[in-house]
Amino acid sequence: MADIAEPAQAQQAARPARRGRGANGRLFYRHERLRGYGLLMPALLFMAAGILIPFGILVTMSFWTQTGFDIDTSFTLDNYAKAFEQPVYQTLILRSLYMSGAATVATVLLCYPIAYFVAFHVHRGKMLWLILLTLPFWTSYLLRVFAWKTVLGYNGVINSALMSVGLIDQPLEFLLYSQSAVIITLAHAWAPFAILPIYVSLEKIDRSLLEAATDLGDGPWRRFLRVTLPLSAPGIIAATLLIFIPTVGDYITPALLGGPDGVMIGNMIQMQFGRINDWPMGATLAIIMMICVAIVALTVIVGTSRLKARAS
Amino acid sequence: MDVIDHLAAVRRGRLSRRAFTRTLLAAGVATVAMPLRPARAQSDGATFFTWGGYDIPELFVPYAEKHGAPPNFTTFGGSEEALTKMRAGFVVDVSHPCNQGLPRWVASGLFQPIDTAKLSNWGDVMPELIDLPGNEAEGGLPWMAPFDWGQTSVTYRTDIFEVEGEESWDMLWDDRYSGRLGSLASAGDAWWCAAIKAGVDFADIATEDGFQATAAALREQRPHIRVYTDDTTTLEQALASGELAAAMTWNSSAVLLQADGVPVKFAKPREGALTWVCGLMIHKDAPHPELAHDIIDSLLSVESGHFMIEDYGYGHSNMRSFDKFSEETLTGLGLSKNPLEILQAGHFQTPQTQEFETRINEEFEMIKAGF
Repeated sequence: MADIAEPAQAQQAARPARRGRGANGRLFYRHERLRGYGLLMPALLFMAAGILIPFGILVTMSFWTQTGFDIDTSFTLDNYAKAFEQPVYQTLILRSLYMSGAATVATVLLCYPIAYFVAFHVHRGKMLWLILLTLPFWTSYLLRVFAWKTVLGYNGVINSALMSVGLIDQPLEFLLYSQSAVIITLAHAWAPFAILPIYVSLEKIDRSLLEAATDLGDGPWRRFLRVTLPLSAPGIIAATLLIFIPTVGDYITPALLGGPDGVMIGNMIQMQFGRINDWPMGATLAIIMMICVAIVALTVIVGTSRLKARAS
Repeated sequence: MDVIDHLAAVRRGRLSRRAFTRTLLAAGVATVAMPLRPARAQSDGATFFTWGGYDIPELFVPYAEKHGAPPNFTTFGGSEEALTKMRAGFVVDVSHPCNQGLPRWVASGLFQPIDTAKLSNWGDVMPELIDLPGNEAEGGLPWMAPFDWGQTSVTYRTDIFEVEGEESWDMLWDDRYSGRLGSLASAGDAWWCAAIKAGVDFADIATEDGFQATAAALREQRPHIRVYTDDTTTLEQALASGELAAAMTWNSSAVLLQADGVPVKFAKPREGALTWVCGLMIHKDAPHPELAHDIIDSLLSVESGHFMIEDYGYGHSNMRSFDKFSEETLTGLGLSKNPLEILQAGHFQTPQTQEFETRINEEFEMIKAGF
């Protein structure tokens, strides 16, 4: 049936504007912006339902207070005052920013050479390389965290190896249940988020620019600093933000590997919604964390665009 | 509206951009407007919301015989967490609180009395465990069917930890083993144990002095603790590897480790251990009330009792479960056919107000974070 209908409608599809369509149809077809929004509509509605509404609830709740099992809905800034008065919250937020910053820097530094290698020195089977590099993502995050627990553990892989070659006679205790354990795990788990954007920006670099730099007398190192690195900056910035923003609020890694000194703000927020049973305080902390992340992300974006403006 | 055969049009290269855009729009609108089918329950069985470690088929042999498979499990790390989750709308069939939380769980209005006529093992349940403060609902029915009872104490490696004098709660404050001590992370255990160590009588635990003394003890302990966790397996593994020399645990950790040949002992602290009774409550909106009673009946059965005593070292509420074991075995496990003997010898947890619970949980989180 569809096949029979096809010639007629194909004709019609070929010259749709000339046919009478009513005022609405004409409006719709003339305004490109309207059509764009029409296409975006499903995504926009989904964003509104999935992000804006919960965010609104979070903001509203942060101005309320918890009394026992009930929530007092009168407006107050008490939670924010408490968050600034009690040193524990500031310490946890600063620690989260520091740990996630360290993990981000480590990830980008470790992944840049990998991306560089794939972009410039792999000529066959690039796709295979990229797939292999994202292997950590093939297993569940929880499993990866547990894998690190066995690697870093008291009688784990590293300690057993060091002890069997006689470098140490007591297991290294700082490996597990510490901030370094969390940073190491985050740096490994988020590696694909650094490799892929950096690879894409390196891959896009016009190779003739590199030849030109060599022709004009730059050695490999100067060529890298003056041509390759600046041109791959978008990838580095994208990787930084992609890793930093989600890891600040990470919860499961510090919960399993952090020990008492590796607790992050995400764990405190979870406690507020869990056994402390103070949802408004949890909402307040979540919003403060969001603001901190936004400030850091904006600083990175504005800072780099300033640098770019100065360079050109 | 005309019906367009898009596939054919695309194949012949005759689909205009506009027609294509329009189709995409229609598809988008349809996706959003399509009513989501109501989410179906995960499976047909009943759900048991319990502590980690009770989510095993061994405790549901009679249930599985009757229904073909054990119930669905979902676990929590502490009973406060469980109550908060259910207050937020999480519906299960049966949950697993302890005597200390019982009046607050009942006051939440989230539970229904248990119809004991549906429990074939009810007649064998020790009456002194049913007769707990706040357990009586209308018509003489209980809110909570007692299931397990036991102690929170110190499990330590006999080959690593040198006990000075008597076994005591001081072991978990011993700076010789700083960084090799572990603790349960929920205030429901840790706060009460610290109160025993600080010499706070449980009658005074909610007073300001009692609160401050306990908090001070926990603060003093914190630098010595390598890990706070709700996961008893983590503590057991760390004790087995020698990473920890001693840790606060329940009976089961010591019994499981001993069964594995690890040289550990469940201490009998001179100040007394923390003792508790836990049991089963049915959610008021339980989707499977009949199966819920079967879950409870299965847990109260003699088979489950044997497993609890033999493999976990916990006391069971069914008096016939103890018949299989000699007095000697029971003493070795720190158990007795007369539960009150054990419960009264230690410090038996007492119910507290919600304000107190929230306060100690908040304070303990601060202490764990280093403040």
